[in-house]
Amino acid sequence: MSADAHGWGGLDDGTARQVLEEALAAASGPGVSFADVRLVEAEEERLYTDSRGELDERREHNAGLGVRVLLDGAWGFASGPLDGPDAVRAVARRAVAVAASSSGLARVVLPPREPSSGTWSVPVEVDPFAVDAAERHGLLQRVVAAASAPAEVRSVTAGLNAKRQHKHYADTEGARQHQHLVETGAMLLAVAADGSGAQRRSFPNSFHGNTAAGGWEYVLGLGLEAQAARVGEEAVALLRAPQAPGGTADVVIGPAQMALQIHESVGHALELDRILGDETNFAGRSWVQPEDIGTLRYGSPAVTVVADPTVAGTRGSFAWDDEGTPARRQPLIEEGVLRQVLSSRDSAARYGSEPTGAARADGWGYLPVCFATNVYLEPGEGSLDALLDRMGDGYLVDDNRSWSIDDRRMAFQFGTEAAWEVRGGKRGRLLKGFSYGGLTPQFWGSVEAVAGPEEFRAFGMPCGKGEPKQWGFLGHGAAPTLFRGIATGVAG
Amino acid sequence: MSADLTPVLGESRALEACRAAVDGARAAGADEAEAFLTGRAGSWTRFAEDRISQPQDITEWQLMVRASVGGRSARIATTDLAAAREAGARAATRARVLTEVAGPLPVLPAPAAAPALPPLGADVLWAEDTAGWDVGARVGTARTAMAAARAAGGSAFGVLGQAVGEVAVVTADGSTRYAAGTEALGSLTVRVGDGTSHWVDLDRRLGVLAVDAAVATTVEEAVRGQGRRELPAGRYDVVFGPLATGGLLEGFESFGFSGDAVADGVGAVATRQGERVAPASVDVADDPRARRGLPFPFDLEGTPSSRVPLLDHGVVGGAVTDRASAARAGLAATGHAHIAREETPHPTPSSLTMAAGDASTAELLAGVERGVYVQRLWYLRVVDPVATTLTGGSRDACFLVEDGRLAGALAPARFTESVFGALSRVDAIGRDVLAQPLPNVWNGAVTAPAVRVRGFRFGPHGSPPPTPTPTPTPARG
Repeated sequence: MSADAHGWGGLDDGTARQVLEEALAAASGPGVSFADVRLVEAEEERLYTDSRGELDERREHNAGLGVRVLLDGAWGFASGPLDGPDAVRAVARRAVAVAASSSGLARVVLPPREPSSGTWSVPVEVDPFAVDAAERHGLLQRVVAAASAPAEVRSVTAGLNAKRQHKHYADTEGARQHQHLVETGAMLLAVAADGSGAQRRSFPNSFHGNTAAGGWEYVLGLGLEAQAARVGEEAVALLRAPQAPGGTADVVIGPAQMALQIHESVGHALELDRILGDETNFAGRSWVQPEDIGTLRYGSPAVTVVADPTVAGTRGSFAWDDEGTPARRQPLIEEGVLRQVLSSRDSAARYGSEPTGAARADGWGYLPVCFATNVYLEPGEGSLDALLDRMGDGYLVDDNRSWSIDDRRMAFQFGTEAAWEVRGGKRGRLLKGFSYGGLTPQFWGSVEAVAGPEEFRAFGMPCGKGEPKQWGFLGHGAAPTLFRGIATGVAG
Repeated sequence: MSADLTPVLGESRALEACRAAVDGARAAGADEAEAFLTGRAGSWTRFAEDRISQPQDITEWQLMVRASVGGRSARIATTDLAAAREAGARAATRARVLTEVAGPLPVLPAPAAAPALPPLGADVLWAEDTAGWDVGARVGTARTAMAAARAAGGSAFGVLGQAVGEVAVVTADGSTRYAAGTEALGSLTVRVGDGTSHWVDLDRRLGVLAVDAAVATTVEEAVRGQGRRELPAGRYDVVFGPLATGGLLEGFESFGFSGDAVADGVGAVATRQGERVAPASVDVADDPRARRGLPFPFDLEGTPSSRVPLLDHGVVGGAVTDRASAARAGLAATGHAHIAREETPHPTPSSLTMAAGDASTAELLAGVERGVYVQRLWYLRVVDPVATTLTGGSRDACFLVEDGRLAGALAPARFTESVFGALSRVDAIGRDVLAQPLPNVWNGAVTAPAVRVRGFRFGPHGSPPPTPTPTPTPARG
């Protein structure tokens, strides 16, 4: 592990502890039953290049704190950058003032919690911020050149990103936590166009590429150069590919698309704040009701979904969530039956359960809300080829092109970048414009089998929620999954 | 300016930080440098059923400096304004390294000069009523909404927010720009039984939002929206409310209305400029100087933000640009530079507007023998940018329309339709507009009226390609 990967930043541990204690002291007072402070220093690097040969490189650093108080049963939250000697106390006082002005309605009562304290770091082999500029840009230029080779490729964008954070947390119950988070990612997107239209292919994931908790070793393991030529060629091949037909078909969905499917129709649907109605105005509700927990059949017996931030390597991996709840593995769906949901302290208190540790916030500036952690479909057994053989005739699809689901996370329609006809268990011709749709419980009920652990892939992705809207960063994974008899071609 | 709300940094401090960053870059050997600072102090009161669920007071800012050496540039951003000069120096150092590893890059010719535009008046950017809309006032309004919904047998959910945003820019030629504006946001969903209704509006002026009237109307519509039935798949004449129309416009960026798309030769402007795709009554532009919404005089590069006709009275118009894309595409800089999280910097429409007509909603409905009214669309995603196809669904306050009047309530329904195709079949436009935020766009808003669209298909199956050359139809009541 590279020691340097975590030895950065302007806030040493002693200074951070002082800030936390100062903020807690300023947030305490008559009527305050609870307060917590998050102090975050973050640095992010993004570099992109394209087929014009231009480079865009930026590095962003920010440091600030968010203070949350519970005063006379009412929440108050304030945040701000670290800016001068009075900034910490000023943010805390603003949080108290907001709570004081927001009291008088239904009271919030948080059950007490045993404090959890400690330090945790993402394992990193090679610090992505220490990688030589020539290596980074050389890689991107070779990737773009390979993907741009076919004449019909109109544009190629390739990018690298890295982020490191020191997250310090303290609360009035005694918790003192320090997490060092490092993540590294890459993206490649090729767009081909001719008189008939435009098509795109991407790698390693179509939505902002992929980002993992870890170091430069993640990028090296992707094999970007080896994939680039295929990405460009497939974008061109899609221009001439036949339109995928509609109807009802058996389909094997690949891990990248499955990650989004899990995110939209399981992760979001199982956020307890939605289930309780808190997100009704913006992000929506859920088809799941509180009384469904423990009994609802969510899918077939082949479907077991787990939330486990303790699994290393994704953007949903951590030791404590953003309100200090320790991470732990929790089955959400066991053999098709709903067992648990994703909750924060506030939502769990209202439901009358223990929080599952899914309170997540975007840096220091925003209030924690329920975001998925590292939520994945447990693999079954066997290779992708064995799964295709089991399917017989149907389609193999992967990499998202469009996605939409209703506000209850029930009726959805997704399109994929690529689809291959499968006949007699063998992958055949490439098809364009594949889409499928369905209703969440019926769809997950049509899962017949999931491929084995050797086919499992995890993806880190951003997600928007809250008012004002904030980004959440989380992980989803799956192995290729066989669905029987789903509706296809719904996007026309 | 009201004492209740002031810019978090102010002109002097914001420009000073930008100048320090530029000076630091130049001192470190940058051929050229520029810097911008965005700041926002906002206070939002979120409520759900019987609780003020998330009261928040958020102050954010970011200084970003770009330094260029040998035609290569790098950006450094920070919240530490005391380190502004160092940020500039780091940007210059990184730009020099880029030149060493990737070679110098010929400097693009400067884009055609942006048109000289008058400054926006203080009354356009700043409103005292917004500045004075404090937590106590917003909590009071939230309680009123919750009580009204409860009295009707339902629940209210929403957010009321007040903010001040500011942008300072020091440009490569040494000139400076600064502006600050107030923001008022109101958003409400009321549920009564299975009936729902939604409202959102956004403006620099609180008074424009008419919050009290919106609360009353939203509760009434939720009551009326009970007893929902499924909408059979099929093609309908549809009246889209202002929020639904605005949703349809959000996809315009993906359809090729940017300088990058023009430079790549893809999308509507590159391949269909001058083509009529909708009747003359359909006038869609990106207009950062329109008073409604969140007007702002310049972009993050300091370029004056100008009105760009996208569908100019139904005809495919121009593209929004930043300086780089303008130079690549041979276009003028329009002042639409955009840098967002997790994205490459690119120009984007940030002030989408559709011109209002003269019809009331009742008049729009009167022209529908049997059809659908849709208040709000949900989760719209581009399926095919060339065909301008979106998929998504209706969400709140959907009604069957029979003999020109709202009839039974409808459950949400999915659609996959071409936006140009739908706009080609607009035959009447409403006079009232609502503005709503554009996700992930600094200062972004889309402002639109209600429209009546003939033959819009709801159901799981796709729509035909857009009508190539519609016959223009004058708006009628």
